[in-house]
Amino acid sequence: MKREQKAGLVLMSPPVLLLIAGFLLPLAFVAYTSLMPPRTFGFTSNITLENYVTAVRESYWRPMAWSVFFALATTILTMLISWPIAKALVRKSRRFATIVATMIAVPVFIAETVRLFGAHLFLMPRGGILAGTINYFFGIDIGSVLFTPLATLIGLLYIYLPFALFPTVLGLSQVPADQVEAAQDLGASPWQQLRYVEVPIASPGIIIGSLLVFVLVLGATSESHMLGGQSAVPIGFAIEQRFNYAQDWPLGSALATVLCLITALLVFPLLSRLDLDRLFGR
Amino acid sequence: MQRSQRWWTVWTVCVLVLLYIPLVSVILASLANTRYLRFPHRIWTIEPYREALGLSQTYDLQMTSLKIALCVAVVSVLIAIPGALAFARYDWRGRKFYQRFLLLPVFFPQSVLGLAALVSLSAMGFDLSWRTAVFTHAVWIVPIVTLIVSIQVYGLDRAQEEAAFDLGASRLQTFFRVTFPQILPGLSSGALFAFLLSWSNLPLSAYTTGVDTTLPEWLYSRMSTNFAPMVPAVAVLSILASIVFVLVWQAGRVVVNGVMERRKQLE
Repeated sequence: MKREQKAGLVLMSPPVLLLIAGFLLPLAFVAYTSLMPPRTFGFTSNITLENYVTAVRESYWRPMAWSVFFALATTILTMLISWPIAKALVRKSRRFATIVATMIAVPVFIAETVRLFGAHLFLMPRGGILAGTINYFFGIDIGSVLFTPLATLIGLLYIYLPFALFPTVLGLSQVPADQVEAAQDLGASPWQQLRYVEVPIASPGIIIGSLLVFVLVLGATSESHMLGGQSAVPIGFAIEQRFNYAQDWPLGSALATVLCLITALLVFPLLSRLDLDRLFGR
Repeated sequence: MQRSQRWWTVWTVCVLVLLYIPLVSVILASLANTRYLRFPHRIWTIEPYREALGLSQTYDLQMTSLKIALCVAVVSVLIAIPGALAFARYDWRGRKFYQRFLLLPVFFPQSVLGLAALVSLSAMGFDLSWRTAVFTHAVWIVPIVTLIVSIQVYGLDRAQEEAAFDLGASRLQTFFRVTFPQILPGLSSGALFAFLLSWSNLPLSAYTTGVDTTLPEWLYSRMSTNFAPMVPAVAVLSILASIVFVLVWQAGRVVVNGVMERRKQLE
């Protein structure tokens, strides 16, 4: 027992040190920068909450609200889209599952920029792949959803679907098939079967999937940059602009700190509920 | 039951088709010679590929991305081996806390992770380059690789380790002769994941590469400001590069497996 304790402490130190240096420490720096006077660099002892006041006054709650809206909508929609796919992957033959899972996983490893660029080219008005093809065959000019919030949402669904799907599959695979059959034999309607058997048992996977999608979308910028244009600016993009163009690191840091707090509020309670050994160990 | 199964399959296939439309669009758009995209092209040509391949910048971008991704893969695996043993093998006080702490960077907005690295690195006086990008990528990728290796470690046969100990093997001998071969498949997929995730990453690179530019960064800026069919051509080439890498990796895996089998037979 004592030997295992020592082994655990020694072995955990490389990743833990990395995370302290590359995660906790940087976040502390960001939090401290957010308390510095506006448009300054470096660290002084003049601590001020001015940046947070500016953030509220200059209506930065608007991009924050867009991000929360996109995160919520993407989480719900990717979950609805992936549920039937997850069922098919778990219940159908192994070969079918392997092929489909691979085909969905492969694009994850292709740069997000490339895929969103493709979506952009497809949706472009007039000469775009979709509009151009339709115009060529039918001679009609369809409009384009490009540069609307809807285009951003489409991009988000496209990019984050696998992050919702795979944890859901992991969760659903822990629902015993005979338990579902038993529920059916006892006369459960499809809805009851979903509500009382499948969702409760699959919930760890569902929680991980929705949490992952929600948090990642909260910080996502490229979907709106490449598809939605200026129609709906998310908070990640606003922060990026404070850092790159405005060179106002303290204000950018204040916005980032708020985003961190929202994330922490969601992640801590949900993550502490999960039994990771059971989920991954089996 | 049967009917609903068929319905799931139809749905799955539809979603798959939609998922591949953007990739097909990139390829289609790269086969023209016009300044603006006017689909369907009047002239179909592979000229943009010749142009992209003739550009020395293409190689520089691929090399920067490659350098970062390879370093990240090596670093991640080296840190993930002890990390995964602590995660899944040993029973120690604080393990549950450690498991959750390790997952935090994964459940975190990546753009904030990148800018936090930027703030702290520049506060400590580091010059930003591809090296700082390796560090930042690792913060996000090490937890993922650790998780992948952990799944393998959960399935470890502990009796074998104990037998090795009882037969007088040292701790290091036990690790290299017993534990390591058993978790090798996990390490291999972990390294591949690390490479591909780093290769395709934008939000972390955008804040931390400094003077160096990775492929996704270049594509991001060129796509929005300065379109030419050469840009999708470079994108397609980058996809091909990662496919080649995966194939080489799989081939290497087959060779290593063969060698290990041989050694087992000889012993």
